[in-house]
Amino acid sequence: MSGPEPGPGMDASGEARSGRSEMLRNNVPYIAIVLVVLLFTIVSGDRFLSVRNWTFIAQQTPVLLLLAYAQLIVVTTGSIDISVGSSLGFSMYMAVLGMVWLGPVGIVCGILAATVIGFVNGSIFSLLKISSFVTTLAMLIIVRALLNIISDGGSIYVTEQAATGTYVDSVAAPWLLALGRFPNILIFALVVTALMWVFYEKTLFGQQLKALGGSERVLSLFGVSVTWFKIQVFVAAGFMVGLASLISLGRSGAGTPRAGEQFELDAIAAVALGGTPLTGGHGSVLRTVVGALTLTVVANGLTIAGVDPSWSRVARGVLLIIAIAISLNRRRIGVVK
Amino acid sequence: MSENGGALLQVEEVAKSFGGVQALRSGSFELSRGEIIAIVGANGAGKSTLIKIVAGVYRPDSGRMLVRGEPVAPRDHNVGHMRHLGIEVVYQDLAIVPNMNAPYNLFLGRIPKRFGIFVDENAMRRKTREILEDLKVTTVQSLREPISAMSGGQQQSVAIGRAIAWGREIVILDEPTAALGPTETGEVERLMHEIRDRGTAVILISHNLEQVFRLADRILVVHHGLTTPAFPRSGVTSEQLVRAITLGEQVA
Repeated sequence: MSGPEPGPGMDASGEARSGRSEMLRNNVPYIAIVLVVLLFTIVSGDRFLSVRNWTFIAQQTPVLLLLAYAQLIVVTTGSIDISVGSSLGFSMYMAVLGMVWLGPVGIVCGILAATVIGFVNGSIFSLLKISSFVTTLAMLIIVRALLNIISDGGSIYVTEQAATGTYVDSVAAPWLLALGRFPNILIFALVVTALMWVFYEKTLFGQQLKALGGSERVLSLFGVSVTWFKIQVFVAAGFMVGLASLISLGRSGAGTPRAGEQFELDAIAAVALGGTPLTGGHGSVLRTVVGALTLTVVANGLTIAGVDPSWSRVARGVLLIIAIAISLNRRRIGVVK
Repeated sequence: MSENGGALLQVEEVAKSFGGVQALRSGSFELSRGEIIAIVGANGAGKSTLIKIVAGVYRPDSGRMLVRGEPVAPRDHNVGHMRHLGIEVVYQDLAIVPNMNAPYNLFLGRIPKRFGIFVDENAMRRKTREILEDLKVTTVQSLREPISAMSGGQQQSVAIGRAIAWGREIVILDEPTAALGPTETGEVERLMHEIRDRGTAVILISHNLEQVFRLADRILVVHHGLTTPAFPRSGVTSEQLVRAITLGEQVA
């Protein structure tokens, strides 16, 4: 009866079936994290379940989580931003450099830098109509190169106390290091999560993200200024990367030329593990939390189990493919490029 | 208000080309309140281009358009301004955002806000129910589900409801019944009479000549990018109309 491509007038049983698989897809993130936690509990037991380890996970997740939110904003519209890792590293360096120049307020340079990178991403993508993948790939390379040029290969450290003598490549900001520690970093992430949820679910901007992922053509037919909105999307994502750069700096204690490398992949993986289709149209903040947490727990659990870090990355790659394979609604996909 | 012999809309020699191809060489017609005008013509004759100019999707290369006697300035010739003037379109493919719910689609481009940034979902749902009730459309069940979960007929109701709700002056219907069965077609035609009776003008694009004869007060033929003067439906035979469409012959 129901062929591989059911039309809009799907029969009732087909609808019920697609309803069930829809429900399964929506719950994949939750099922995945439960399975992962169970698995590592069996393998490593107390060492995995210890308070100390979960405190570590709570410290480890927030940077990835905020990067995943940046990615979620973009992915919901059906685009992608693979420059978030470079942007994170660049913003961390600009934040710490800003503090060297201007004192504590200079930290806004980090948020500013990430937001400007978002604006450039959005403008190239929207005005020059170059695909978001190509645009942000170019920006991934350019921003990383600029970071190398500005830093000249050196790092600037955030320290508890003002450094004495001629050692200039550091800035004292104990408050920032405190922000990077448990529980402050977790509280920060929870506050951002609450704001992100309101932004994503309740504002016109959030609703427009999903609509843009659904049909850009229809939005422009009804007078919505899609060109400008697409720029704003990347600016919003950039701002979120800027927030991530603050806690990342607090946690790592240094702006370095290599900070944030390959983080874009983890951010995309977290969003995908959260069941958000990379084709856009819908997504979920709470499931993205679960996705980011799953990714962190897997990395953590494999380390505790004594798995070589390279094999750990292999495992996370495989996990990503499994998660996307389950979360995709293949019945609605005609062509895959 | 309505000077110029009561013309609500005057389209004067508008033309549009795309990359050297003249989609519309010259289109002119007038429209009065409470009137149904049918635009007919072969595929590629320029009907779609003409209505997209009226809807503000395309800005004409030359010619001008007046609404209630006021010329539309070229810089205002966009969808937002035309919708502000009360001109709405029901597109052939319905132009709905499939992953969003019925209220979102009804309020597309005019989402009510609270405190400037939040979506006023309650107001949207309430107004959606009112609009659908006004249209005597009672088949739409869930207002929270994505509209793609609804049947084709229900989606059509929402698309038409949207145009009727906001199109105070002019509602443009592009092949509104091409994909519908007889019952749904009857329903759409009933709605067209209803909005005409409240004083709204209707522009109907249809390939179905029986429907054109049944509904239209006047008929406008587009042939090879040119409009011929619109003529009243009465006193025209279907043979004359077919000759006008295929050969561009003037009628009466």
